Amino acid sequence: MSSLRNKIVQKIQSENCVRSKVVLKDGLEPELLFKNRYGNKSVLKSRFGRKAPLAAAVILAIIIAGCIFSDLITTIDPSYMDLSKLDLAPCAGYIFGTDTMGRDIYSMIWYGGRISLFIGIVSALISTLIAVTIGALSGSASDRMDAVIMRITDIILSIPSLPLAIMFQAMMGAANVISLSVVIGATNWMNMAKLIRTEVRQLRDTEYVIAARNMGGGFFYVLFKHLAPNFIPSLMFMIVMSIRSAIASESTLSFLGMGLPLEQISWGSMLSLSEKALMTDSWWIIVIPGAFLAVTLLCFTSLGNSLRGELSKRHSQL
Amino acid sequence: MHKQKLIKLIKRVLITFLSIALLSLIVFYISRLAPGDPLVSYFGERAQKLTAEERSLALSKLGLDQPIAVQYIRWLQHALQGDFGISYKYKIPVTELISDRIGNTLILGGLGFIIIFFGALILGCFCAWHEDKLTDRVICTFGTVLGCIPEFWLSLIFILIFAVTLRVLPSSGAYSIGGGDIADRIRHLIMPLSVVVIDHLWYYSYMVRNKLVSEFRADYVLCARAKGLSKAQIITRHCLRNIMPSYLSIMAVAVPHIIGGTYIVESVFAYPGLGTLIYESARYKDYNLLMLLCIMTGAAVIVCGELAKFINERIDPRLRKSMRFTEDEEVDEL
Repeated sequence: MSSLRNKIVQKIQSENCVRSKVVLKDGLEPELLFKNRYGNKSVLKSRFGRKAPLAAAVILAIIIAGCIFSDLITTIDPSYMDLSKLDLAPCAGYIFGTDTMGRDIYSMIWYGGRISLFIGIVSALISTLIAVTIGALSGSASDRMDAVIMRITDIILSIPSLPLAIMFQAMMGAANVISLSVVIGATNWMNMAKLIRTEVRQLRDTEYVIAARNMGGGFFYVLFKHLAPNFIPSLMFMIVMSIRSAIASESTLSFLGMGLPLEQISWGSMLSLSEKALMTDSWWIIVIPGAFLAVTLLCFTSLGNSLRGELSKRHSQL
Repeated sequence: MHKQKLIKLIKRVLITFLSIALLSLIVFYISRLAPGDPLVSYFGERAQKLTAEERSLALSKLGLDQPIAVQYIRWLQHALQGDFGISYKYKIPVTELISDRIGNTLILGGLGFIIIFFGALILGCFCAWHEDKLTDRVICTFGTVLGCIPEFWLSLIFILIFAVTLRVLPSSGAYSIGGGDIADRIRHLIMPLSVVVIDHLWYYSYMVRNKLVSEFRADYVLCARAKGLSKAQIITRHCLRNIMPSYLSIMAVAVPHIIGGTYIVESVFAYPGLGTLIYESARYKDYNLLMLLCIMTGAAVIVCGELAKFINERIDPRLRKSMRFTEDEEVDEL
């Protein structure tokens, strides 16, 4: 039995090898092609691709750890306003300087990161929950119901998400961490729901789902026991991306003054001081928190992209 | 045959209108559920001092004492006659307020969209042409980094560099006071426009690149190559044509994102457009204004989506066999 398998494996490998020889015009060594069953330069690419998320993961881990253990790495209370030290440029005692209210930017960044990341994760969870429910509902409903739900989703999707979030936030009154997470989560689920709907529609007529239904499994039981394990891999990419966009929305909302107030330190609310900072020409108030924000977003993006999976592994015919 | 087409077209238009009506209903409900007091934006500080009688009189005068369903029907009746109510804050009809500003937004957003539309095609082709070479990888990395920067921060950095430090470009507004000639307008447009373009361009270029790259792996490319077509010929004559339908539907989905980005950029640069208006109206609970702005934005997006579908069916016969919902595979998190 095993010798038969070996033979088949050998045959496949030799066939691939022959195939690669056909495309050897690229001038790659045959060995390299042989190792990688699919030929092509994707050897290089996959190595390159594997490295990038590692760097992103390390940087992200450092930022997250810094935010969690912010008590240990900072000495100055971030909310303490030292009126004698307004608008200090980065110097020995305050390595990132102080803001227009005399607070230490270094400690604000770590404490503020806590809130920003927290909002990002909570609202991603909320939007995933909404998306899974609506997507699965639409995917397993009748054709007509499905069309109606998807149409409504499309309509909500047609309002740019930030104005929509602003509308919700204006409705909910003064913002706090929880209400902001809910608002951002409630305005970000549409794309994810569409993806889940497509997946569920492909899965719903498979034997095991029908069997589970017939044995009396309820909607949520079938959803979480049978459907979810199938679409979670393709969902992971979207979840990471939605954490990213939630952090970006939080900072934008807070920056515009529709999100967290100044006393509630987050990366966004730190940046809402930037108008004053522009007048006094204090670049550090704008550049430093923004750089932290941008690096975090970049890390999430490259992590998400690495989850998206490779493109077609065939080689270019061009 | 002609009749069938006409019926189909009418159906399309009806669906579009129905969508817009549904959109207005959703927006209406959301905005009326708000706990904030709309009288504050109407009367300002005086709202607190009103007696109970004056209050109820004012509410009934503005039609705010009715159930939401009645209010909606009333609003719809007026809206169909072109009367969208008055802005509670500015005390002038909202249509007037919007028509003052819509031109500015159209210039910024429209120009941005056009540049992104063609720029993404060109940049995507360029990267796909140099697939996996150094240029491609450098552009990919650089583009991803730029695409991750939030619009408002990029705008701030631009202001910091070009307006505060170098003092070459104006930091806010659409024209200087007193001035208003073309050169002045353009100077004011450079920074907001480049932020809108930079922040969105790469995302769509990358999609074009990936689509092209996977298109290069199809067998017909090999066939064309064997027939002796050049690389450029294959790309322009075959590959680009094949990705066009999905590119168009992606760009239709891009409309709300670019509009949203434009709104943010507008409010950072204090550019007098719809974006600044939308934030103001949300903050002051200016229902009529907020609703009309949201509905207009949404309606523009819905119309663009239908338009893209229509064009797609023209250029790609495969799509004509009406699929109710095309599986937009690539329309993931934007």
